[in-house]
Amino acid sequence: MVKDLDKAIAQLRACRPIPEAQVRELCHKARELLIEEGNVVTVTAPVTICGDIHGQFHDLMELFRVGGDVPDTNYLFMGDFVDRGFYSLESFLLLLCLKVRYPDRMTLIRGNHESRQITTVYGFYDECLRKYGSANVWRYCCEVFDYLALGAIVLGASSNLQPASETSTGTQSKNNVTSTREYNEADIEIEVLNAEGDILHRFPRKKGQANNVIQRSPNKSSSPVKTGPPGSGASGSSGGSVGNSSGAVLCVHGGLSPLIDTVDKIRLLDRKQEVPHEGAMCDLLWSDPDEIEGWGLSPRGAGFLFGADIVTTFNHNNDLSMIARAHQLVMEGFKEMFDNSIVTVWSAPNYCYRCGNVAAILELGEDGGVENLRSNGDAGRSNGASSVLAFRDKERVPGPARRYRVFQAAPQDSRGMPAKKPVADYFL
Amino acid sequence: MSFNGPIDESYPTPTAADQATLSHTRKGFKISARKLPISKSGPIDKMTEKLGIPVPEMIFGDNMVSIEHLESGWHLEFNAFDALDRVDKTDKNMLKVAYSSEWTKSRENTHDGIKEVVKPFDWSYSTDYKGTVVKGKDFTEDESEPIPIALLKRQDPILFFEEVVLYESELDDNGVSILSCKLRVMPNRMLLLCRLFMRLDDVLVRIRDTRIYVDFDTGKVIRDYTEREDAFDKVKKSLVFSGKLPNDLTIAMRDPNQIAHLIPEVKHTLESLVVP
Repeated sequence: MVKDLDKAIAQLRACRPIPEAQVRELCHKARELLIEEGNVVTVTAPVTICGDIHGQFHDLMELFRVGGDVPDTNYLFMGDFVDRGFYSLESFLLLLCLKVRYPDRMTLIRGNHESRQITTVYGFYDECLRKYGSANVWRYCCEVFDYLALGAIVLGASSNLQPASETSTGTQSKNNVTSTREYNEADIEIEVLNAEGDILHRFPRKKGQANNVIQRSPNKSSSPVKTGPPGSGASGSSGGSVGNSSGAVLCVHGGLSPLIDTVDKIRLLDRKQEVPHEGAMCDLLWSDPDEIEGWGLSPRGAGFLFGADIVTTFNHNNDLSMIARAHQLVMEGFKEMFDNSIVTVWSAPNYCYRCGNVAAILELGEDGGVENLRSNGDAGRSNGASSVLAFRDKERVPGPARRYRVFQAAPQDSRGMPAKKPVADYFL
Repeated sequence: MSFNGPIDESYPTPTAADQATLSHTRKGFKISARKLPISKSGPIDKMTEKLGIPVPEMIFGDNMVSIEHLESGWHLEFNAFDALDRVDKTDKNMLKVAYSSEWTKSRENTHDGIKEVVKPFDWSYSTDYKGTVVKGKDFTEDESEPIPIALLKRQDPILFFEEVVLYESELDDNGVSILSCKLRVMPNRMLLLCRLFMRLDDVLVRIRDTRIYVDFDTGKVIRDYTEREDAFDKVKKSLVFSGKLPNDLTIAMRDPNQIAHLIPEVKHTLESLVVP
């Protein structure tokens, strides 16, 4: 089986569809696997979070080149694998193969395009029909869609930025990483790298924000020992005691729902169905953040918009430091809003092969292992520091350190199709 | 928005605007087209503020096509900002998605508190934009001379051809609204078509065409504006009657060229001017 799977993966990586019978078997296996997952999957950092793909297969390959290959890199894809692009089939089946082959290194959650109704209108259905001559493969895939999780919780993400790991393209030598650099990295909240791993931007954690957790004692810098979770380290300890774990991150395709005030309520939904036109499940896959107060109705006559206060309250009540979502095209590949409490990640560069936008993936590092979660004892233990609940009384849970890798579309020649030049026609 | 700092990666390059502009001069007329990636967050925020409505997610704010008469300086341009400025910014012409009533009904009991529609405006981005006269005389109504279709049907060599998208919205996956320009320059004349294609799935289809015809020898410029509109189901039915197979229907509904002739005309104006 593993051998067959590896063969299928190799074939799909070459952007060649696998036979219908094999798709059927794959979808069956995937369903067996997904049915065991809860509506909200728990994922442990390190993890690389990705947004919409939309059938842009060659750009997905570029994403793997930039972010590292499976299973070396642990991935979380936030839906919208299909529609719009030319290779929805190959893209989705490859992701599904990788899920079945490496279940612990690949998390797939559902986007609003993973639905029968939407794929019928926006391309995936037609593509299956064209590539197989029947709608069977589309049907198998839709059955898998119904089993995809609705969200994921990332635990154990570090609030410290760790040195960028070597990806296949990594060129810098890490031998000369000095303690000074390590110290500096500890202060960085957001780092933006280009596709080759060069630093484009670095943003230090704002003073006074998120419990002033990141204060590493310089004389300890050569030691990788990391201590105490935030909350403990922040509660008045002197010097060396430092928290490096951050609050949990909720990943969902669209956003929040007025019907959902706790993550646990997501867990109670009956998700194994076509995406409904209304209700909590619909909202999670469709809603958008907006610069408003509270909840608002979309002018389109369906769908919710939510403001900063909604996110702040939700994050606070659920001990989240951040929400990561996809669903909306953002030109820079990612966009943090509402005082960094929510981020939109977009992973389809040159969207629809003509927008010319860049894409991004979001890397969250691990907090250094379970032993480091233990408080070093000089502060905060009474808060029940090893539990996320410890953050309840705090103003805000510190956000994880975020490393965004920004990348452009795959080179034209790797796409196997000619660059689109307008063909002169005698239009009237 | 509260990002920690500006993102300003060098993509596209600063000189891209010039490099991305293609021009062709023919008999005293300079025809240009500029194609660049969609606008970045900064320009989008500025544009949104200036317009007073949210811009479509695919906004090609730097794109344009233009026709200039070199001697007189007469200059006609098509750009996204001016087109969006002509979108209804009130709630008077707001459409509703197909499942809106179903959606609203299901919400009535559960979310009494949430009633306010955020920033009501014509989110279908249906503009009646006919281009911007940047410099020189404006068009006047003139029904006497339509665009000479017969001359345009001749297979004269095409010296310059471009297609430029100004904006596009997926209407939150409820259809499409796209405004794009296409132009072709022949030895003695040219045609520019600026088309709005708006399809709200299961609700409505709109096509609004502005055609600019220029006769290089006489300096006559004709502007023809046509609005077509029909219910989604009616257009689909017309396609079936015209012999389309069921499997080809969705594809046809995405292509204004395949359905324009099936949609009844609801408005038509004809204007002209002569340069210099």
